[in-house]
Amino acid sequence: MIAGQRLDDNPCRPRHFKPPPCSAIVPDGPAQQTLETCRARLLVTSALFALAFTVVALRIVEIVIVGGGTAESQIGRFRIVTPPVPSHADIVDRSGNVLAATLDSPSLYANPKQIVDATEATRKLLRVFPDLRAPEVYAKLTSGKSFVWIRRHLTPLEQYDVNQLGVPGLEFEHEERRVYPDGSLTSHVVGYAGIDNAGFAGVERALNEELRERREPLQLSLDLRLQYVLREELQHVIDDFTAKGGAGLIMDVNTGEILAMASLPDFDPNRPVAVDPEHPKTLLADRMFNRITLGDYELGSIFKIFTVAMALEAGTSTISSTYDASHPIRIGRFTISDYHGKHRVLNVPEILMYSSNIGAARMALAAGAQRQREFLDRLGLLRKPKIEVFEVATPHYPPKWREVNVMTIAFGHGISVPPLNFATAAAALVNGGILRQATLVKLPAGHVPQGQQVISTKTSEQMRKLMRLVVEHGTGTMAAAPGYVVGGKTGTADKVSGRHYAERKLLSSFVGVFPINDPKYLVLTMIDEPHPNKQSHGYATAGWTVAPATSHIIQRVAPLLGVQPVDENSPEVQRALMVESLQGKRIETY
Amino acid sequence: MIKLGTVFWLVLVSLTGFAMFAVKYGVQSLEDELNHTKKATIAEEHAIRADEAEWAYLTRPETLDEMNRRHLSLGPIATKQLRVTLNDIPLRVAAPVMVDAPTLVEPPAEGAVPTTPVSAISLESSEKPPEVALLVKPAPAKTTAKPIFSRRPRSLDELITQISAGR
Repeated sequence: MIAGQRLDDNPCRPRHFKPPPCSAIVPDGPAQQTLETCRARLLVTSALFALAFTVVALRIVEIVIVGGGTAESQIGRFRIVTPPVPSHADIVDRSGNVLAATLDSPSLYANPKQIVDATEATRKLLRVFPDLRAPEVYAKLTSGKSFVWIRRHLTPLEQYDVNQLGVPGLEFEHEERRVYPDGSLTSHVVGYAGIDNAGFAGVERALNEELRERREPLQLSLDLRLQYVLREELQHVIDDFTAKGGAGLIMDVNTGEILAMASLPDFDPNRPVAVDPEHPKTLLADRMFNRITLGDYELGSIFKIFTVAMALEAGTSTISSTYDASHPIRIGRFTISDYHGKHRVLNVPEILMYSSNIGAARMALAAGAQRQREFLDRLGLLRKPKIEVFEVATPHYPPKWREVNVMTIAFGHGISVPPLNFATAAAALVNGGILRQATLVKLPAGHVPQGQQVISTKTSEQMRKLMRLVVEHGTGTMAAAPGYVVGGKTGTADKVSGRHYAERKLLSSFVGVFPINDPKYLVLTMIDEPHPNKQSHGYATAGWTVAPATSHIIQRVAPLLGVQPVDENSPEVQRALMVESLQGKRIETY
Repeated sequence: MIKLGTVFWLVLVSLTGFAMFAVKYGVQSLEDELNHTKKATIAEEHAIRADEAEWAYLTRPETLDEMNRRHLSLGPIATKQLRVTLNDIPLRVAAPVMVDAPTLVEPPAEGAVPTTPVSAISLESSEKPPEVALLVKPAPAKTTAKPIFSRRPRSLDELITQISAGR
């Protein structure tokens, strides 16, 4: 510092002189402080940067080496595509055959604002869809809106053709469509869905919500093969007897599962409103009508099984009780007579075998109105059926159960029930007396739903024997299917028209159970307004119409169901079906 | 010392940057691939659904019945065909009585067949031998027809070739 002063002081110092280096100037005071602050800030900043880079580096190490953890979900450059779930689950039969499926089907719409030449576009569109009407399409394309449907649910080929047209302003909207590969075969059970896939009938309607939520297909209890057999045989009977319609069901008597349910005429759920080319005159309402659940019929003589079961259960009759059926009963303006009367005293098996109205009426009278009503109620015949379709009818029965009602109800007139109710109750009569609700949804294998004991096992056993007699010697002999030990009951009812019974309008029905010695399946068939033909010798009664059909159905269906045929004359079967009171007596054939 | 530190940091930064971008592009391409696969899966799923519906349509009982009528003429199983259970069918006869000799005549070859379940059940076994005999009788060219028929087919293909050769 002293030397410096001295040099500066000397005016004559040489110009090339370079002063020697001196120690760093350390400012004092405020400058010093400023410098310190800067250095501290720099240090902090660089420390922060270093930290940040360390974090980044560590993260990279984690992603690359450790495996990244949630990296994939955090990076959102693309919308991650999730497979669109079909809006409604498929419906399949009990062995997995598709009954209803949801398929992709693009719909064509136009954005008229982008259409350059509407005339040209219309002409091109008509080339692909010749059934469209030109003025309508043209009006749509010139409407000035930004969205108009041209055609919904295209086939893949149509989509390709439209793409080939190369018209700007035509776009596709992804839509789904319900398809029913089996067409009318299961129409009444599966039902159908509208253009937006909401169910309009059958299971589609009743289980719409469930189908919407499910991802797995819904498995119905139906068996497609049985359904086909049932429908085909019913169609044969209808054609043979030029009937108005028919219906039938096959049910597992021990679980309540419905294996087949058909109602004719029917419709194609793929085109529900289209006219049936084979029966162009049949009304749409007729075809949509499910006779099994929505029909409400006076079923006639097949109701006698309930009368007999009621009397046996209540103890007002035994199997050897006898009733006088030699004269018609007159009550008020009614006369109750037998169709093919024996005009003598009949015992209980004979009443059922020969289907005696007089006998059944007397039997019911002996039990009384109260018992009869209670019994029918217990069997669920007076309640709306519960099943997986909404199309169900409420039974009709007299509000006041008078004596005349007791007698007519005994043979199935004056009370109308849906055939489904009848089948459910009839299954309970033969399966050991347990009433189980009918269902259209497949139960898990081996699962037997909790039922309600409605009659004793003894009565049930007696009913089986009696129903076997009907097929062996009674009105239902034509329902026999050799080897399958069929038991059943025929029923031919006069149809009500207006306030009276129509003379020549019949409703013939048959309920068959096989094998009756160990009941497994119930077949109910009915035919509406059959007309006699030559082969039936002028008859249109159940014994000539639906009983043979039941026999055919059982013979075709039993092998599919794995029912082993037995020798009907073997001692075991004979013993199982022996009716003690008839032992040694000569049984008159019907 | 300071310079060494700077170099270290520079290298680290560039390495980090490189690694980061490498990972980023890696992820992007993987994501592209994922999306592509997912789209393809969806397309496949739709195709499968359509195929299943198509299969259901083509195997409707109605169609099968029609095709059966046209090509096979099979009828419903009759009760008499089910009278015999598997347990009733005797086991195959132990001794190899079959068919090794090339000079074998046809009816005995057919006679050996009833040990198999099918012909034991079906009632047609009695009708078959004459048919076969008829088939073979008018064929004098023994060299071609005989060796094929004298051997029992081991596979379905063999059976089919035998039948077509017989025709």
